[in-house]
Amino acid sequence: MKGLIKKDLLNLSSYKTTLFITVFFCSIALISTEAISFAPIVICTIIGMIALSTFNYDESSKSEQFILSLPLTKKEIVLSKYILAIVSTILGGLLGSLLTIIVVSVKNAIQPEAIVSLNYESLFINTLAGMFGITLIQSIQIPSIYKWGAEKGRIQMFVLLFIGLLAILGLGFLFTKSGLSIETQQIQDFFQHFGVFLLIALIIVMYTISYRVSYHIFRKKEV
Amino acid sequence: MKNAVALKNVCKEYPDFQLDHVSFTVPEGAIVGLIGENGAGKTTTIKSVLNIIPSEGEIQVFGKDHQKYEKEIKQDLGVVLDDSFLSSYLNAKGVQSIMKSIYPSWKEEKYSNYLKDFQLPANKLIKDFSSGMKMKLKIASTLAHQPKLLILDEPTNGLDPIARNDMLEIFRNYIIEDESRSILISSHITSDLEHLADYIVFIHKGKVMFSLPTSDLLENYAILKCSEEDFLKLKKEDYILFRKEKYQYEVLVENKFQFAKKYSFKVLDKPSLEEIMLFYVKGEKE
Repeated sequence: MKGLIKKDLLNLSSYKTTLFITVFFCSIALISTEAISFAPIVICTIIGMIALSTFNYDESSKSEQFILSLPLTKKEIVLSKYILAIVSTILGGLLGSLLTIIVVSVKNAIQPEAIVSLNYESLFINTLAGMFGITLIQSIQIPSIYKWGAEKGRIQMFVLLFIGLLAILGLGFLFTKSGLSIETQQIQDFFQHFGVFLLIALIIVMYTISYRVSYHIFRKKEV
Repeated sequence: MKNAVALKNVCKEYPDFQLDHVSFTVPEGAIVGLIGENGAGKTTTIKSVLNIIPSEGEIQVFGKDHQKYEKEIKQDLGVVLDDSFLSSYLNAKGVQSIMKSIYPSWKEEKYSNYLKDFQLPANKLIKDFSSGMKMKLKIASTLAHQPKLLILDEPTNGLDPIARNDMLEIFRNYIIEDESRSILISSHITSDLEHLADYIVFIHKGKVMFSLPTSDLLENYAILKCSEEDFLKLKKEDYILFRKEKYQYEVLVENKFQFAKKYSFKVLDKPSLEEIMLFYVKGEKE
């Protein structure tokens, strides 16, 4: 499995410049704005999406068959993709937070008259939100790619997201129509106390379910 | 004799094609050539052996069930697939870095020697390689972990005659180095296999038409070219198939010595594998 992760990392090494440009422009954007919380979300999303592009490399070189001829189980092949996805999400979160801290510190040192106070708790929540977002995308996209391929899988992912959004809106509509009252204060309190744990738990659950679905698809797939 | 690979009644069904009870063996130390026209079932057979696609029937590699002991078996396999390899955005150095993590028996020195022998640059991206260079890299990465069995799907496809000859020389040397090694090689370029393979398995429309020693095919089989009048004198059981050409009949016979004794024809041509294959594809019996 180490070899597969190495393969994906070597393929992704061509993204070094893209990553550098992203970080550079994020830094500039951070300097010129008061809304400093977006960097973890943006960087998390970009790194997470870059990690998914390894499927494109495999598809364009028709590597799947060759990989299946190597002494690796199908479980290991799928797991290696998830390890890369999870690492990219964590890396995106860390890089985004670190970039925010560095840029804000530099900004405060250059402009002592306009100090920007960094709320670490809010930065943490934003980072987690970014990680949650990319986990959601990856968790839907990886099984979609296994099912329909790298190109079609991307389109199918948007279709699935759209259906999901419609389902949520539909449920909301039914809820309102039924005349049930929502205790918003209670919900707010709940999220304030347990929001972080909930997000972490959801990230773990999403990856776990997604991995199982992907493995199930890949096990039955004929390449 | 031990078998490196044994297939027994292997079946695989697709909507427009089926592998129909394929059975043959690759004896240890032997080179077995799998021949057949495009779409005959060669790649499907190889994919079944490698468990890339599920199939029915019994497949054993090194005497073990190919599914149950898949990972263990594949440690000793070297595989070259016609159109599938690692990403073309890697270079030969990157390929080594990946493959040595997958095969504990990987020999860096051997790989470097192959790269040197094949004149392959270590840092150039695979996408900038010629077809011959790509194939040589596949071979180098396949041989560097010193597998006991090579499974090669159309390894000479798209190569010029010189590169093809180089490849065949490499396979010969691989067997000479250690005589317990075996090769299963598929190709639709039958001339490549005439001087390389010990056995020939001919697949046509998903069925094994014959599985015979190459020497048998080339030395005992013969082609008789005769007139219609002479052809009508032949008994059906004395020939395998015939082809009616514009001015003559061409007849494929199995045992040329017996045939020559029985009939008075003086000229019996030695057939090439391609000619034998053509008889099985285009020939008639009735």
